[in-house]
Amino acid sequence: MQPTAAFAMTGLALLLSACGSRAEAPVEQIVVRQPGAVAASAPVGAPDAGDPVAAGKVAFAACAACHSAAPGAASGIGPNLHGVVGRAAGSAPGFSYSPAISKSGITWTERELDTFLANPAAKVPGTSMAAGQVTDAPRRAAIIAYLASLKD
Amino acid sequence: MNEIAKPAQRSRAAKWSRRGFIGAGVLAGGTLLIGVAVRPGNPVGKLGSLVAGGQGEQLINSWLKIDADNIVTAIVPHCEMGQGAHSVLAQMLADELDADWSLVRVMQAPADGSYVVTDTIRGFVAQGTLGAPDWLEPTWNGLFTRIGRLADGMITGGSSSVRTTGQHTMRIAGAAARQMLVGAAARAWGVPAAEITTAGSVLSHKASGRSAPYARFAAAAAEEDMPQTPALKAPGDYRLMGTDAPRTDIPAKVNGTASFGIDAVVTGQTMTYAAVRRAPVPGTRVAKMDASAAKAMPGVLQILNMGDFLAVVADSYWQAQQALNAITAEYTAPESSIRSSQDQFARFSAALDEAGEAGGKEVIALGDAKGAMAGAARKISADYQVPYLAHAPLEPMNATVWVRDGKCEIWTSTQVPLMARSAAAKALDISADDVTMHHPLLGGGFGRRLEVDYVIMAARIGQATGYPVKMIWSREEDTQKGLFRCADMSRFTGGLDARGRLVAYNNVFTQRNDPADACDCAFYDIPNKSIRVAEAELHLPFAAFRSVDHSQQAFFIESFIDEAAQAAGRDPLEFRLAMLGQSPRHKAVLEKAAAMAGWSTRPAAGRGRGIALTESFGTIVAEVVEVDMSSGKPRATNVWCAADPGFAMNPDGFRNQMEGGIVFGLTAALYGEISLRDGAVEQGNFHDYKLLRMDECPAIAVEIINGKHEKLGGAGEPGLPPVAPALANAIFAATAKRIRALPISKHFA
Ligand code: HEC
Repeated sequence: MQPTAAFAMTGLALLLSACGSRAEAPVEQIVVRQPGAVAASAPVGAPDAGDPVAAGKVAFAACAACHSAAPGAASGIGPNLHGVVGRAAGSAPGFSYSPAISKSGITWTERELDTFLANPAAKVPGTSMAAGQVTDAPRRAAIIAYLASLKD
Repeated sequence: MNEIAKPAQRSRAAKWSRRGFIGAGVLAGGTLLIGVAVRPGNPVGKLGSLVAGGQGEQLINSWLKIDADNIVTAIVPHCEMGQGAHSVLAQMLADELDADWSLVRVMQAPADGSYVVTDTIRGFVAQGTLGAPDWLEPTWNGLFTRIGRLADGMITGGSSSVRTTGQHTMRIAGAAARQMLVGAAARAWGVPAAEITTAGSVLSHKASGRSAPYARFAAAAAEEDMPQTPALKAPGDYRLMGTDAPRTDIPAKVNGTASFGIDAVVTGQTMTYAAVRRAPVPGTRVAKMDASAAKAMPGVLQILNMGDFLAVVADSYWQAQQALNAITAEYTAPESSIRSSQDQFARFSAALDEAGEAGGKEVIALGDAKGAMAGAARKISADYQVPYLAHAPLEPMNATVWVRDGKCEIWTSTQVPLMARSAAAKALDISADDVTMHHPLLGGGFGRRLEVDYVIMAARIGQATGYPVKMIWSREEDTQKGLFRCADMSRFTGGLDARGRLVAYNNVFTQRNDPADACDCAFYDIPNKSIRVAEAELHLPFAAFRSVDHSQQAFFIESFIDEAAQAAGRDPLEFRLAMLGQSPRHKAVLEKAAAMAGWSTRPAAGRGRGIALTESFGTIVAEVVEVDMSSGKPRATNVWCAADPGFAMNPDGFRNQMEGGIVFGLTAALYGEISLRDGAVEQGNFHDYKLLRMDECPAIAVEIINGKHEKLGGAGEPGLPPVAPALANAIFAATAKRIRALPISKHFA
C-alpha cells in the first residue's frame, strides 16, 4: 500500500511539537551562599570547596571502591594508599602488584601521581589499575592534596 | 586549531550547489575539507572550525578526515546510545574508502545545523528506499530539507542511521574521498587513475611498484575534481560491509574511560549539583513551598521555586537531594478528571464504543470490510489493552549547564542535540548560536532522549544561578515525572469464510503516533479491512518508546491473528503462511524462525510455543517464544528470532540489537506497567518497575536473512515488536489462557 502524504507528516509533527518555549523566571529564589564560599556556620563534615584537601576527600570517592586510605587498613582491589605520597611504587605491604608497577622505579611524588592519574595506562603501561583515570586537572590536584595529607 | 581561510582562497574544487551533494574547500595550510550535504551554500569555513584537529591533520571531508599518521576519522552525525551506530557508520565509510579498519576512529559530529540528518527525516517517510519514490522526488531538496532544519533534524531515532545516513552520506563520502586520493596519486605518479588500486589505506600502482599511504596525498586530493556521484561498491566488492568488524566504542566502555552525559565536568570550575522535583500530576504547578528546614541543611547553595518545579542547588548531588526531600510543597488542583488507571481505560473504551463499527478517523480502508463481515461464516472479536510504560534508561535524565554573559554551554546525553540547543536558546531568550552543545555518549535513550524537557529545566536553573550546575533527576523523578509510552486499547472484529480464511478485518484503537503504518499488517493477504483510530485523552505526556506504535500494535495485531487461527482451527504457523502468498520475504523469515524453533516437534510437558511476525522500520522479524508454565508462572525459556533487514552491514551488531530489543520487549510484556493513583504515577524505582533479570533471560538465537541489499531496514527497534505477542501466544498454547492485557505477570500474580 502506498502511504499518503498525510501519513508522512505524523512523524514530523511529533518532532516539531517538542521544541521549547520561552521560560518563566523563578517564582522564589533563596540564595544561601555562593559556590566555593564557606558556609556561615559550616555544618560539621561538609566539604569546603575552597579547601583542596576537603575537595580531594570528596573526589576520592571515585577511588574508594578499590582503595582504602585509613592507616593499617587492608588493601582491596587496589593497594592501601595511606602515606602513598613519597613512597616507592609497588611497596604497600602484602599487596600483589603487577610487574609493571613493581618494576617502574617510580617514587610517588605529587608530580608523578599527577601524570599517573591523568592516564594510568600511559604512565605505567601494563598496570592492572583499570579505572581511576582523572582527566580534570583541578580534581587531580585535589585528590593528590588529600593523599598528601594522609601521614601518620 | 587550524585557521579557516577566506572563501577567496578556496580551491577550484569548492562548488556547493543546490543539487550538488558533495562540496569541498580548503583550510589555511592546504588542508582539504569536503562535505556531503543536501543544502545550498558553502558551510566549509564553519565546519572546518568545528571539526579541525591538530597540526598536520587533513580534513578530507566533513564526514571524514585523515591525519599525518594515516588515521581516518569518520565524523558521525548520530548519537551513540549503545546501538552501535557510530561504529557501523564508520565501517560503511571505511569500506568505500578502502581504509584499514584498525586505523579508523570515530568522532561525534558537533551540534551544528550543517550536520542535519535530513535523510533521517526522509527515512521516516521513504522507509529506507535507496532512491526516492517518484511521488517524493520533487519535494526532497526543498520541503524535506526545510522541514529538517525547522525541526532541528539532527536526530537519532527511527532505526535509521544505517539505512539513511549510512547509505546516503557515509558511503558517498568514503567513495568520493577515495576517488580524489586516487586522482591525486595518478597525477603525481604520471599514471592512469584506472591502474591505481586501493586497500588498507594505501594507494598502489602495480606496474611501477609504487605505493603510498593515503595521508601522503590527502592535501593534493583537494585539487582534484570532485565526483558528484561517486560509484558505490556492489555487494560482491564489499570488504568491510557485511562483516563483524569490531566495534570502535567497546574498549572505552569496558575499561571505564567512556564518558556519558552524567560524567560531564566543567573544567576549572567548582561543580554544583541540582536535584529537582516536579509537581506530581501532569499539568499541575507548585502552589506553595516551605523550604525552612532545607535552607539550613549541609551543602545547600540555592533553593528555587520555578513554578512548575522545585530545585535545590548544592555542593553535591546527595546534599541537594536530601535538602529537596526536606521541602514540603502544595500543588495546584489538576484539571484532568483522570485519577486512576481505571479512569484512563474507561476513556479508551468509551471512545471505542462511540466509534463503533465504522466511526473514528479512517486509517486504512481496503475492499468491503462491512460486506465481507456480513457474509462471514464465523465472526470473532477481542479487545486488547496495554499500560503506560517508562523508558527507564539506566543513566537518569541529567544536564550540565553554564549560563553566563548571554551565552549558554550545555553537556547532556540527547538523541536530538540541535533540538536541545534551540529549546535551551528559546527558554533563555538567546540565539541558538550562543548555545554550545556537548553531547557525549548516552546511557540509554529508547526514545526518552528525543525529548528536551530536562534540558530546558537545567537551562532555567543555570540561568537563575549564573554558575555551572549539573542537574540530575533521581530515579523516582525519572520514573514518575517524565514522558511515557502511551497506554492504549484496541478492538477487533474478524470474519472467517467457510474455509477458515480471514476475509474481514475491522480494527479501531485510540492512540496513533509513529510510524504511520504501524497499525497495519499489509504483508498478510486480507482482502477487506477497516482500520480506524478513535482518539482518546491521555493523562500522561507521550514520548516515543523503542519501536514506538509497533510496541503496542504488534501485540494487538499478532494476538488477534493468533485468535483467528484458533477460531479457524488451524495451526498458528500454517494460518499465517497461508496469508503470505504476496510476501515471499516475510514467508521466508517466518519459515526460518519456525525451523529454528523446531515448530513441528511437540514441546515438553508444561511448555508451549507461540509465534509472531512483524515488519517495522523496514526490517522483517519473526520470533518464536517457548514458555515453561510448569511452575504456574510464565518463564520464557527460548526465543528464536529470524530477521531480514535487507542486508546486515555488521551482522554481529545486528544480532546484538535483536537481542537487546527482545530483552527490552520481554521486560515490557512481562512486567512493564506505569499505573495511576490520584492522578500521579504509582511506581518509583526498580523494585516496583521491574526489569528482566539475568536469571530470567531466555536463550536467544538470531539468524539473519540478507533478502534485499538495495533496500535496508533498521536494527535498533525491529527486534522488540514480535516478542510480546509471541510470548502471549505461547502462554495460550501451553494453558489455553488468552492474554489480552499487558503486563503478563499480573495474570499470574
Ligand atoms: C577499579 C579499581 C581501582 C580504582 C577505581 C582506582 N584504582 Fe588505583 N589501583 C588499582 C590497582 C589494582 C592498583 C595496582 C596497580 C598495579 O599493580 O599495576 C592501583 C594502584 C594505584 C596507585 C599506585 C600505588 C602504589 O602503591 O604503587 C595509586 C597511587 C593509585 N592506584 C591511585 C588511585 C586513585 C587516586 C584513584 C582514584 C582517582 C584510583 N587509584 C582508583 C585499582 C584501582
